[in-house]
Amino acid sequence: MKVTLKEWNAIATWHWDIPEDEVCGICRVQFDGTCPTCKFPGDDCSLLLGKCGHSFHMHCLLTWIQQESSKGLCPMCRQKFEWKQTEESEEA
Amino acid sequence: MSSHRIRRIGKEIADIRADTHSQISIEPFGEQDDVTHLRGSFPGPPGTPYEGGSYAVDVKIPTDYPFTPPVMKFETKVWHPNISSQTGAICLDTLSSAWSPVLTVKSALLSLQQLLSTPEPKDPQDAEVAKMMMRQPAEFARVARQWAVRYAGAPPKPDEDSQDVSAGQEPTEEDNLARYNGYNKDLVDRFGGMGFEVEQVVDAFERAGVNRNGGDDYDLGPGLMGDITARLLGE
Repeated sequence: MKVTLKEWNAIATWHWDIPEDEVCGICRVQFDGTCPTCKFPGDDCSLLLGKCGHSFHMHCLLTWIQQESSKGLCPMCRQKFEWKQTEESEEA
Repeated sequence: MSSHRIRRIGKEIADIRADTHSQISIEPFGEQDDVTHLRGSFPGPPGTPYEGGSYAVDVKIPTDYPFTPPVMKFETKVWHPNISSQTGAICLDTLSSAWSPVLTVKSALLSLQQLLSTPEPKDPQDAEVAKMMMRQPAEFARVARQWAVRYAGAPPKPDEDSQDVSAGQEPTEEDNLARYNGYNKDLVDRFGGMGFEVEQVVDAFERAGVNRNGGDDYDLGPGLMGDITARLLGE
């Protein structure tokens, strides 16, 4: 039997390149989901990967870091939070 | 922003309920669907005067939670240097300056349980309790235990009972008042607040010829105050 493809639809899924079951420690939502203020996951609601090894939704972390009481520290390990700038190039 | 808080708290409550191992429980304080005002409770840690008691904590979730800590105070009365014996207010850095948004109501309740095991009288919330703990550790343990039995439902241990009976130690309200020997309690306690024992103060009062004033409180005036303070200090 010969089949002729008239049309096909490609479907792809994605997830952040970190363990799938991990949640953002601040909002407790999975990284592949959004922070509580966003509607669409992905580039619009990206992650920040800390040099200390702890990651968060960017919006969650920025809300924390903007608070004076955070003293600029990682919520997990209380080291100064600095994020890896290479994220964009890694993704590309 | 507030749905943020509601969503996270919902997960936290489910998490606490799923964990039967920690013996921490959580329930709404008032209305069933209000998750912003809760009551948490946990058992007093073993090996402390609080053992066997159950401690309830009033938990209020602020609008910008988890970026600011939950507001907590003990509902159950506790005799502990870092907890106000009057209001239940708590002195714990985790609940103020050292809060982090990755902490949870459960971790905060566990910290409170830990606080009962590790009192820190040098950073007191209740100065009177802290002073007693540093100067009269045995008396501190006795009162802490008494409060645990009276307010937290800790079962009085058999050996504690017999000890109390044989030594006649269990001070009733009457015994307590008898120590004041007819003087007004508040009047005497004002000196007690400086770190003196009731008996010392009453003795100094008698030697200074202080008027009992029918057991009512009154102002001693600067002269008598100075005289009594000097006697108490052994001058």
